[in-house]
Amino acid sequence: MKFKIYRYNPEQDAKPYVQSYELENVDPGAMLLTALLRIKDEQDETLSFRRSCGEGVCGSDGMNINGVNGLACITSVASLKQPIQIKPLPGLPVIRDLIIDMDQFYKQYRAVKPYLIVNDPMPEVELSQTPEQRENLDGLYECVLCACCSTSCPSFWWNPDKFLGPAALLQASRFIEDSRDQAVEKRLEDLEGPFKLFRCHTIMNCVNVCPKGLNPTKAIGRIKHKMVTRSL
Amino acid sequence: MSLYVLEGLRPWVIQRVSAVYIVVFILYAVFCFYSADTIAYESWKNWLYNPFNTTVVGIFVIALLFHAWIGMRDVVLDYVHNIMLRIFILAMLLGALIGSGLWVFRILLLSAVG
Repeated sequence: MKFKIYRYNPEQDAKPYVQSYELENVDPGAMLLTALLRIKDEQDETLSFRRSCGEGVCGSDGMNINGVNGLACITSVASLKQPIQIKPLPGLPVIRDLIIDMDQFYKQYRAVKPYLIVNDPMPEVELSQTPEQRENLDGLYECVLCACCSTSCPSFWWNPDKFLGPAALLQASRFIEDSRDQAVEKRLEDLEGPFKLFRCHTIMNCVNVCPKGLNPTKAIGRIKHKMVTRSL
Repeated sequence: MSLYVLEGLRPWVIQRVSAVYIVVFILYAVFCFYSADTIAYESWKNWLYNPFNTTVVGIFVIALLFHAWIGMRDVVLDYVHNIMLRIFILAMLLGALIGSGLWVFRILLLSAVG
């Protein structure tokens, strides 16, 4: 099985290059992460990439696989055309090989205050929700922050410091929709302006690549709908 | 008023509402064009002299100008990152659109006068 992998070590290399690898006897049911770990173990220990849980829960092995962002640990090698071309997620600075600097991504994530804001005194037991209120959060809370969506979004490439990006906006929607949150007005107000939310042009790359099958475009639409309703 | 005239939600809504109006107007204009007895300057002038048509054309021009402004503004905000160049392009665009609008309203006014 053939691989072409983006390599770049800023301490040694003047510019990035592509390195070819070949693996024998790859189990057709294997995931890409397993193949990458084999390359690292058997052929080149300098190859760098992030990984942790290995089963699509932690979101750390996001990479660009044959031109499409995805998680290596849940992408079957059998589904990929050879040579398998692997690059870091686009649009963010490369630290080394497939490892990107996610500071900008997390900065945008923090900007939406991704936590419940409750002004009333906290109840002794818990903040309860009806099953319907809880159901309203389905499709919003499952995000693993792998950054596959935001780094596939042209609007995020163009204005990564101003446009919040699909991942952060999905989180914004998750708390705007939460029946327990008491800062919805402020959250909507904070998203006003031409950049934070309204750079989204419904390109829907985010929907195509989300490894959890989520729909950030729909979530962004829900925020816009809330804003319109609120302004009427 | 901010540099990015109209800001976030408002232009987004205006863009959609104006798009709907533009489509409806174009359908009406095409219908009038094909149902006209003669296609000539005089018949066009008579058509425009009708107060209903003057009004719908006037609203169409306003909708088109807003739609064009928001669309072009979005392109500039996406692609032009140098702030001075952005201001320059937006100012030129605003000038061109306001100029075009005034020109159209001069034509409408003259046609309304007869």
